[in-house]
Amino acid sequence: MPKGEDFAILFDTSYCTGCRACQVGCKQWNDLPATETQNTGSYDPLTLSAHTWLKMSFFEGLDKEGEVYWDFVRTSCMHCSDAACVDACPTGAMNYRPGGVVTVDQDWCIGCRNCVQACPYDAVHYDEEKGVVQKCTLCYDRVANGLEPACVKACPTGALRFGRYGELRAAAEKRVRALKADGFSEANLYGLKEMGGTHVIYVLLRHPSTYDLPLNPKTQKEKVAVGWLSAGIAAATLGGLSWIIARREELSGGES
Amino acid sequence: MNGGEWGIYIVLYFWFAAMGGGAFLVSLLGKNPSTQRLGAWMAFFGVVVGALLLIVDLGQPQRFWHLLVSFKPVSVMWLGSAVLALDGLALFLLLLLKEWPRWLVWTAAVLTLLVVGYTGVLLMATAKPFWSASPLMPWLFLASAYTTGAALLALFGANGRVHQIALWMGIIEGILLLLHLVWTYPAAGRAVRALLTGELAWAFWGFVLFGLLVPLYLEARRQSPLLAAVLVLLGGLLLRYFVVYAGQIGYVI
Repeated sequence: MPKGEDFAILFDTSYCTGCRACQVGCKQWNDLPATETQNTGSYDPLTLSAHTWLKMSFFEGLDKEGEVYWDFVRTSCMHCSDAACVDACPTGAMNYRPGGVVTVDQDWCIGCRNCVQACPYDAVHYDEEKGVVQKCTLCYDRVANGLEPACVKACPTGALRFGRYGELRAAAEKRVRALKADGFSEANLYGLKEMGGTHVIYVLLRHPSTYDLPLNPKTQKEKVAVGWLSAGIAAATLGGLSWIIARREELSGGES
Repeated sequence: MNGGEWGIYIVLYFWFAAMGGGAFLVSLLGKNPSTQRLGAWMAFFGVVVGALLLIVDLGQPQRFWHLLVSFKPVSVMWLGSAVLALDGLALFLLLLLKEWPRWLVWTAAVLTLLVVGYTGVLLMATAKPFWSASPLMPWLFLASAYTTGAALLALFGANGRVHQIALWMGIIEGILLLLHLVWTYPAAGRAVRALLTGELAWAFWGFVLFGLLVPLYLEARRQSPLLAAVLVLLGGLLLRYFVVYAGQIGYVI
C-alpha cells in the first residue's frame, strides 16, 4: 500500500473536459518529440509509446437510460506499489524511488523489454534510438524540487491534482460520496486495491471497464507463481509420459 | 535490433534452446552413451547460440553483464539468464568428462528442463492475453522441445524410441495448441483470428500441415524418417514464430 506521505496524483474524470493540456504539458517538460500519426477521426496517438508517456483516451456511448455520454480517462503510468515492471526487470533498473515513484535507471537498463510486456497499463515502452525503456517519471525532477508534475500544472479544470497520498485519497473518497449523492450511482474510486495500490488514483463516473481499465490486474508475483506451478506440472507430466513411451518401446524390442 | 517487439532473435533463441535441450532430455531416456553425448553437444550448442542471440537482441548488448551482478529470482528474465548460464556450465563439464557422474547428469537434466520450461513461464508472466490467459505456454513449449529434440536426434541417426517420442509428443502438442487457442480466444480474440485467418495464418497453417500432420502421418506409417524429422524441426520454428508474434499483435512496444 502507498504510504500517507507518498507523492500522488488524483485524476477526477468528472472535472475533465478532454482538452489534452496534460498531454501537451508532459511532452513539453520531458522534451518528447511528436509522433507521426494517421487521422483516425483525430490525429491523436492511439497508444502510449516511448515518446508519449501520457495520453487522454476518449470513450463515448449510450448509458442504461439511453443517454449519450462522452468520457475521458488519463492513460499513463499508475506508479503501482506492487509494480509488474519492477518485478519483471532482471537488473533492478526499474525500481521504486523515495515517495513511491517508479522510474527506470537509464544507465542500468539493458533493453530486454520484459517490463514492456509485463505492464498491465501498457505504460512502459522501448526507445529504439536509446536502446532502453521509457515511461512517465511522475516528473520526479519537478516533484523532488517542490513543483507539481507538468501534467497537473497544465490542467485548467482541477481534474488533475498533485499532493500527498493520504490527503488525496481522502479527497477522492469525499468526491465519490458527493457524486453518488448527485445521482452518479456508478461513481467509484480506481487504484486502491489494483497492483498493491497505485499512486495515481482515479475518480470515475462509470464502471472501470467503460474506460478500458484492467479489472483486478494480477501482480507479477501471482503470475510468476502460477507460471512456475504450471511449468512444474507440465515437466512432471510430459517427462513422465516420455519415460513411459521410451520404456514401452524398449520392452517391445526397439533399439535406443 | 527490430522495432522493439520480441522478434526474430527471440524466436530463434526459443527454437535453438528447445531443440538442443529437448535432444539432451530425449537422449537421457535411453542407455546409449554415444547418443547421450550427442544430446549433450546439441544442448550445449543450443544454450551457447541461444545466449548469444539473447545478448544481440538487447537494446544495450554491452550491458548484458548487469544480469550477472544482479539477484532477482522473481524476474523470470533474470532466473532464465541464470539457469541458461548454469546449464551451459554443467553441459560443458559433461562434455569434458569421459565418465559421467550421476549427480552431474541429473543437475544438467534439471537445468536443461528449466531452460526449456522457463520460456513458457516468461510469456505467461506478461500482460499480453494470448500468452497469459491460459496456463499452457510451458506445456506447449515443453512438448515441442520433446518433438524437435527427438527429431534432431533422428536426423543424426538415432532411431527406435526417438520416433515414438516424436510421434506421441507431436499428438500431445497438437492437442495442447488447440486447447490453448480455445482457452485464450475470449481474451485474445484478435491474436487467435490473426492465426486462423489473418496475417499469421501462413505460419499457423504451415505448422499445422507441414510441421504437425504430415510428419505425424509419416511417423505413424514409419515412412521417410528423415523427411519427417526435418519437417518437425521447421515446424518447431514456425510454432515459436507465430506464438511470439501473435502475442504482440495490436501492441506498440
